[in-house]
Amino acid sequence: MAADEELVVPASSAAGGLPRYQPGAGGAAVVVRGLRKRFGEKEAVAGIDLQIGAGSLAGLVGPNGAGKTTSLSMMTGLLRPDGGQVLVNGLDVWENPPAAKAIMGVVPAEVRLFDRLSGEELLEYAGRLRGMPPGEARSRAAQLLDVLDLAGDARRLVADYSTGMRKKAALGCALIHNPSVLFLDEPLEGVDPVSADVIRRLLKRFAGSGSTVLFSSHVMELVEQVCDHVSIIDKGKIVVTGTIDEVRGGTTLQRAFINLVGPRATDEEVLSWLGSSSS
Amino acid sequence: MARLFVQLKLRLLRNALRSSRTAKISFIISTAFAVLLAVGTFLVLAGFRGKSTSVDLTAVIFTVFAFGWLIAPIMAFAVDSTLDPSTLALYPLRTRQLAGGLLAASFTGAWPAANVIGLLGVTVGLATGGPGVAVAVIAVVLQVLFCIALSRFVTTSLARLLRSRRGKDLAAFLIIPLVALYEFFTQVVPKAAAEGRITAASFTGFDSWMRWLPPGLAAHAIQDASDGRPGMALARLGALAAVIVVLGWLWVRSLSRALVTADTTTQAARVRGARLPLAGLGLRGAVAARFWLYQRRDPLSLIYWALVVVITLAVSASSIVGKVHHPAVILASAVFGAAFIGIFHSNSAGMTGPPFLLEATALSRTRELRAYFSGQNIVLCVIGAPLVIAACFGLAAAVGRPGFGVEAAPVVLAGLGAALGLSNLFTVALPYPMVQRAGTPVLVAAQGYAGYRIGSVLGTLAGTAVLAGPAIAAVVLTQTDPLAIRLGVLLPCGAVYGFALALAGERLAAAAATGKLPELCQAAVRSAVS
Repeated sequence: MAADEELVVPASSAAGGLPRYQPGAGGAAVVVRGLRKRFGEKEAVAGIDLQIGAGSLAGLVGPNGAGKTTSLSMMTGLLRPDGGQVLVNGLDVWENPPAAKAIMGVVPAEVRLFDRLSGEELLEYAGRLRGMPPGEARSRAAQLLDVLDLAGDARRLVADYSTGMRKKAALGCALIHNPSVLFLDEPLEGVDPVSADVIRRLLKRFAGSGSTVLFSSHVMELVEQVCDHVSIIDKGKIVVTGTIDEVRGGTTLQRAFINLVGPRATDEEVLSWLGSSSS
Repeated sequence: MARLFVQLKLRLLRNALRSSRTAKISFIISTAFAVLLAVGTFLVLAGFRGKSTSVDLTAVIFTVFAFGWLIAPIMAFAVDSTLDPSTLALYPLRTRQLAGGLLAASFTGAWPAANVIGLLGVTVGLATGGPGVAVAVIAVVLQVLFCIALSRFVTTSLARLLRSRRGKDLAAFLIIPLVALYEFFTQVVPKAAAEGRITAASFTGFDSWMRWLPPGLAAHAIQDASDGRPGMALARLGALAAVIVVLGWLWVRSLSRALVTADTTTQAARVRGARLPLAGLGLRGAVAARFWLYQRRDPLSLIYWALVVVITLAVSASSIVGKVHHPAVILASAVFGAAFIGIFHSNSAGMTGPPFLLEATALSRTRELRAYFSGQNIVLCVIGAPLVIAACFGLAAAVGRPGFGVEAAPVVLAGLGAALGLSNLFTVALPYPMVQRAGTPVLVAAQGYAGYRIGSVLGTLAGTAVLAGPAIAAVVLTQTDPLAIRLGVLLPCGAVYGFALALAGERLAAAAATGKLPELCQAAVRSAVS
């Protein structure tokens, strides 16, 4: 068997419902060791280590430019790292990409989809790309569109979808093959509260079944409500990681986050003209 | 307000100039072209002096300018924020203030100045005497005002449409007649002019209908004033001014409406079929199904197919107009048509843009990537082969030798196989991000990747020509044999040879792509494809 044909997990099982990874005691679904990436002079990711337990719903939070998207891209095999290792359910993403990809679902930050397909066609395409039989891909696409509240727009072109609808369609594409681990980059950015609630409930249900979710976000309230584990990344390094309670340490996650990544000094005196009491 | 808008336009131009080296270079090139336009138009118009058809030719040029003003802003709409009045809707401006400001902004820049300077060539070419020159200057100013008012009225009226997906699709199709027109002027006109088939006298008769259009009114006013009919000249200028006032009024009305009317994007289209086709062909079928739907629904794909036809026809255009009908010219059309199908798809990941990530997260193994390339190639072949062969038949029929079209068919099949195989290889070997630029809806290489683009274009073109060589040689060497026998042998041989080339290309590309998927993803992610 050629090297590129090696597959630890059979494709058919990934498509038809992969047996859940059973980690031993303290087993992790995602293990990241010494992951680093440099773009010219800038070290975008400066050697991060991370462990996400199986069945966990984990958040990766950080300010803009902290390295969240770069890290997630490297974890999902979309961006080649300069160094480090990523294991997903024990499979090395960069040593054995076919097997690792078969058990992963990915929603990238910039949700640009095949927007000349209808929502229904898009999800069916995602399923068929994963080797699913067309009938099953269609059936799962219909069920996902229903749960994602997109059934009424299933035959509309994705080009005509709103941002929230696109995010939900992208989530449907990532879930259609029933992955064991789901990576999402800013899943709720630009999403209205109703769609956000649909996504939030789906993620909780997915993680509740024993699957693992890792997502990046700016929205601390969301992470606080949904996640059981959080890692804060700043300047390409994980500054703290642990359970929500451990990281927030008796305060809110928002406050803990601002304390950790450093509040910016502002001199609001210069805006003395601002407000209805000023002329 | 007009002053503020002019300052805003100048600031936008200055900022664009500061943004990058490419912006500077493109600004310099654009200004150089504007200067060329000014000088060239001035000289052309001045050169009409003493010709009996000078007024007709001047009216033609004035009309061409009006057409240019009409088309160019529609093409550039998505990138020139000063054109969309809705971006200014939040400011407390009266519509008249806004209209005056936008009009002044339209007059600002190298291109409007080039228009005025160039058209002033009429003061030499058409006007005679003091009154003639004075009317010529007024006519030029009115002509440019007419162009601006027309352009503003049309773009503002279309503003709602152009902010929607379907409106942008519509604007994208304007490139097809423009390319066809360009090819006509560069390929057909010089040849026809050299053979004496197009002369200044060819424009006689345009006058009968063009004299009543606003550009014609401007040109004829100059002639009337020069011929001692000042009353008639003033009447024509008055009529032109009235047209401008009406257009301006319509524009202001349209502007008022555009600022408070909803976007039409919500009136979305629905697709008829619920299922992706080609269900029985596995992964290859899935890719082919998606690609097939895109060839129908994506305006960019339709534009590329139209350009393939235009290029195929244009290569042999001289053969149609010229006196020598040599079959080799149609074989060249066959090779070029096939090669351009490959060229337009020689950076598949960059062209697909960020949606490629959906495919990249699912495909890894060599056989999956082979299915990916193969699915796309099947669709390109199913559409491309009959299209280019039909174009070659059309050319052959136009020169009165349908047999030439039959001879071109095996060359098309061989060339298409080569082009598709090469396009797969270049997709993997030279992936680069693509962007959409002002003035053209087709994709171009992002800043810093022009070399990649040139490499893949020239590589695919030269490679297709070389690999199609055996098919061309077979066609030429069997000239004396009966057509039926040649067709029976050459057509299947061309098909098998082309299939083998495409297969070799997609296999090599798939093997190379397994190690380069992250690089292909980065090219796709950095593409600004809408």
